[in-house]
Amino acid sequence: MVLYKPNAAKNHQNSAENQGRIATGACGRGPICRMSDPLFDFAVFGSTPTAQLLAGLLAGEHAKKVLLVGHSRAGYRLPRGIDLSVAPITRPRSWSILTQTAPEAARFVSRIAGRSAVSRTDPVFFAQEPHATEALSHIRHMANGFGIAAEPVSQSVLGGNRSGIILRDALKLNRPQLETELERWLASRSVLRPTPSSVTIGNDGGVELESQDALLGARQAVLADDEAIMRWLPLRQWPTLLRRVPSTSILTTPTRPLAASIMHELDSGLFLTQQIEGGIAAYGPGEQADFSEHLRALLGQDRRVEQAGQTSFAALATKDGAPAFGRAAGLGADVVAATGSYGAFIVPALARWLAGEASSEEAHWFDLHLVNREGQSKRVDEFSWPAKSLTA
Amino acid sequence: MASEKSDRMKPQINRLPETAPKGFGGTAIDRSRPVRFRLDGRLVTGFEGDTVLSAALASGIDTLGSHLNSPVGLTSRAYPAICHASLRHDPQFALPMARTPAQDGADFVCLGAERSRGIARLFQAGRTLGLKLDAAQPMPYPWRATPGLAGSSSELLVIGGGVAGLSAALAGARAGLTVTLIEARAFLGGNSGLFGTQEGEDAPEESMTRLAAEVEAADAITILKSTEVFSVGPGMVRAHQIDASSGNSRGHVIDMAASHIVIATGSLERLPLFPGNRLPGVIGTLDAYELATRYGVWPGQHAVAATSSNFAYRLAMLASDAGVRVDRILDSRSETASRFIAFSRAYGIVQSPGTTVAAAVVARAGGTLSVHLEGRSEMPLVTDRLLVSGGWQPDLTLWHIAGGTSAWHAERRRIEAQGSLDSIALAGSAAGYLTRRGCIQSGADAIDQLLGRQRRPVDDPSVDRLHETPDGPLAIAPLAGEAAPAYLDAGTSLIQRPSPTRKRVSLAFWRSPPRGLPLLSEAPQPLAVNEVAAGVDLSLVPAEAAGTVAQERVASVPLAAAPSESRSEAWEPVPLDEVPPYLAGRYGDDAKIVRIVPDEPRVLEAGALIYPDSDTKHPIHAIGVILRYATSGTVGLVVAQAGASRYPVTVRERGQIIRAQIEALDP
Repeated sequence: MVLYKPNAAKNHQNSAENQGRIATGACGRGPICRMSDPLFDFAVFGSTPTAQLLAGLLAGEHAKKVLLVGHSRAGYRLPRGIDLSVAPITRPRSWSILTQTAPEAARFVSRIAGRSAVSRTDPVFFAQEPHATEALSHIRHMANGFGIAAEPVSQSVLGGNRSGIILRDALKLNRPQLETELERWLASRSVLRPTPSSVTIGNDGGVELESQDALLGARQAVLADDEAIMRWLPLRQWPTLLRRVPSTSILTTPTRPLAASIMHELDSGLFLTQQIEGGIAAYGPGEQADFSEHLRALLGQDRRVEQAGQTSFAALATKDGAPAFGRAAGLGADVVAATGSYGAFIVPALARWLAGEASSEEAHWFDLHLVNREGQSKRVDEFSWPAKSLTA
Repeated sequence: MASEKSDRMKPQINRLPETAPKGFGGTAIDRSRPVRFRLDGRLVTGFEGDTVLSAALASGIDTLGSHLNSPVGLTSRAYPAICHASLRHDPQFALPMARTPAQDGADFVCLGAERSRGIARLFQAGRTLGLKLDAAQPMPYPWRATPGLAGSSSELLVIGGGVAGLSAALAGARAGLTVTLIEARAFLGGNSGLFGTQEGEDAPEESMTRLAAEVEAADAITILKSTEVFSVGPGMVRAHQIDASSGNSRGHVIDMAASHIVIATGSLERLPLFPGNRLPGVIGTLDAYELATRYGVWPGQHAVAATSSNFAYRLAMLASDAGVRVDRILDSRSETASRFIAFSRAYGIVQSPGTTVAAAVVARAGGTLSVHLEGRSEMPLVTDRLLVSGGWQPDLTLWHIAGGTSAWHAERRRIEAQGSLDSIALAGSAAGYLTRRGCIQSGADAIDQLLGRQRRPVDDPSVDRLHETPDGPLAIAPLAGEAAPAYLDAGTSLIQRPSPTRKRVSLAFWRSPPRGLPLLSEAPQPLAVNEVAAGVDLSLVPAEAAGTVAQERVASVPLAAAPSESRSEAWEPVPLDEVPPYLAGRYGDDAKIVRIVPDEPRVLEAGALIYPDSDTKHPIHAIGVILRYATSGTVGLVVAQAGASRYPVTVRERGQIIRAQIEALDP
């Protein structure tokens, strides 16, 4: 099956048909970039570990010249996401990719930031609404099929009529610890970190950045997190698959332990993580007032917690709940969207795919999840919280 | 009667004489009406007009307890919730120690943090409340989690009874609005006293008294004293009010509606960063000034000041007049000029420009401090009290709660408000004004702004920096290994300066002391605006993100209604033959919904995978999946080829292999 037309293929589709021309900035139709002498292969935009790992791997493992726009924020901002090696996935091919690349990603992270940057955890996924409860059961069986110990959790632990599963021995990246070391690692990989005053992404995905007095160019822009996509992707390239979702992050004052240090409610897409000091960081879709009310209901009236922080932000979701990769509008900037909690754990495969070095299984999976997949017959839907909370 | 009781009272060792000059005798207390009450069982004496906190400080209780094995001072910004002893088990009766009037015969207990017990308590020094502050939330204020009762409504609600708030209330009344003025303390006037007089101004006390008298005389203005607002939203505030009218202090949480709101909450004094910056005896200059002028409280006979602001010099002179010996003023700025500095030289106060504190340590158990200087080889200074000032930060707490934005002001090195809100305006030093004249005018300006009237420029005259040196950058001492903690602010959260984690040797017999935070983001408490500003000075927060972080980490209290009931009643069961989107296409476009009949009667779980035989077990090779179970049987989705009747399959569920057959679904 041809998912990309060859003449629309780019560096991550640098097949034999293209004879490796794209990675060098030339294609059959002549130079593809407007810059006279683009210095960089990739300009990665994003401030999450996914974006930073991606930039570093492209530079280090794939010998690309990379610049990264975006700075770590875990040291002072409220969490808006989490990096886990498990996720509410129902599709076997997605589990297959994740279980193959997660150990590789963990090894990289340990090498970069030491063992403290990766920890083992037993997250609990739970649900109450019938559709979500059913999806939860599918997730459990699929996880079991890929060798992950996923066990039901007693209702008495979760309260109400909630069903839950606990996924044993999942890997978790500790963002604050990791991000400190990522800075050093990126520098050692010669990843340039400009703070651009202006960014122009062309229709061909090439990008020009003005930074102080320098004009920088890269052959391909990679928008590697939600904020980067919403900030930098030209409107004309905006994929119809993506939706902006009003989201909230709330930190509570310390309280007694949750059923697990990481919990995910499928019904709402809400994540709860309990920090070492006892505070609960909750984030997910929803306007702040509704989210706060739901959080209080979820935690129960007997927990007299206060809000120690709160913020509203926009996140991206796809219409079908599955992640999205590849070039916006087929030719433009690469996007990495809706990867949920596991984006950082598939970065090695993503870097290979972008560098044109992916295995056939990886390439097939990314091809299935192209951001312009709408209209394709092959469905990749995942369970997602009710679409009523999504706004265009 | 009063004098008899006075004779029996223990001496209030930290109370200045009634005749102390410059108002240091205490304007809020009535020395002819002594009171005594119990606090955690010990007898505390004071005067009518005292708060429980001021009476405790006057009686020599100056320590909250212990945090990270180091004592922490009891101050007007760091105090526990208290409660009448008989009501200690009901958090709704909790009261703030700093706002609760000292009442004769009352029996109070401190709430929240664990306290020393048994023998440890027996030997506890008399100057400490003995709180163990290592808990993540050491000083909870339970009323913050209490829903508000419906309170009064007005057209204008002014938060803060300082000169800007008083001015705003008067301007509102003049504009024909019904006004409610809310003040946290039991008196109006605010904190202008410390800052003295600029050319062309009257004395601060005169301004404060005059404006307060006008407000109290205005029929259109309702004054709520001893009432602290802790949440603001459009058209609504939530406040904690202390009602002492019955003779027993009771707290209430009230919601008040208003069409317009003015936030005039003043400035917060910043805390210089050095190890030991919250030891008992270390106190901010504003806190020291207010305790002296309102309650006549001043511990010790000797003081040293460490400042990056001119107003510490004024306090030093006033204290000298009151008989306190101020040995030295350490100024972090190298070159300074101020009218206060010039005058203070005449008092013989030694000034040390370009000098900062390296650390403060407890020199003797009696409360003497040893102050080590940064980069100086001289002997540490020994003093009873260390007066500190790290400059001034507009108190934007309520502004941020209301949704207001702010940004770091690079020149003034502080966070200042930005933009505007529809029905809420800032006034006074909270709005960034620096002079009393500017603050008073800004009160009226806030009303013009809210009413959409023509605004007039606010005259906030700044003296040439040649004559009046602006506040310097926050003084920051280098990190010291095993010294006392360095805190980011003087408030209740006890967030210490983050330091990089170090690898430590773990010994089975050695219990390591609790460590501080490695990162600001890991603090499980809200971050006060001062803490965020300190984060910028420490390069923990990028300056361009300061406003965002300050708003993000403010202690917000949602004003929403109580959580709604469970939504479960609205849910309907999933139809038997519904194929969820996440299964679409997985078993081909022509997959069939069938009945799965296990060889042995049992319930098969949704999501269990169906395989062609027992040897196949990789999920990618599954030929179907169990959709759901109903009383009529189990339904599955399978590839079209397996859809034939009596087709034998294997279902894998929880490690078990279950043999089953496929049957057509009943029509």
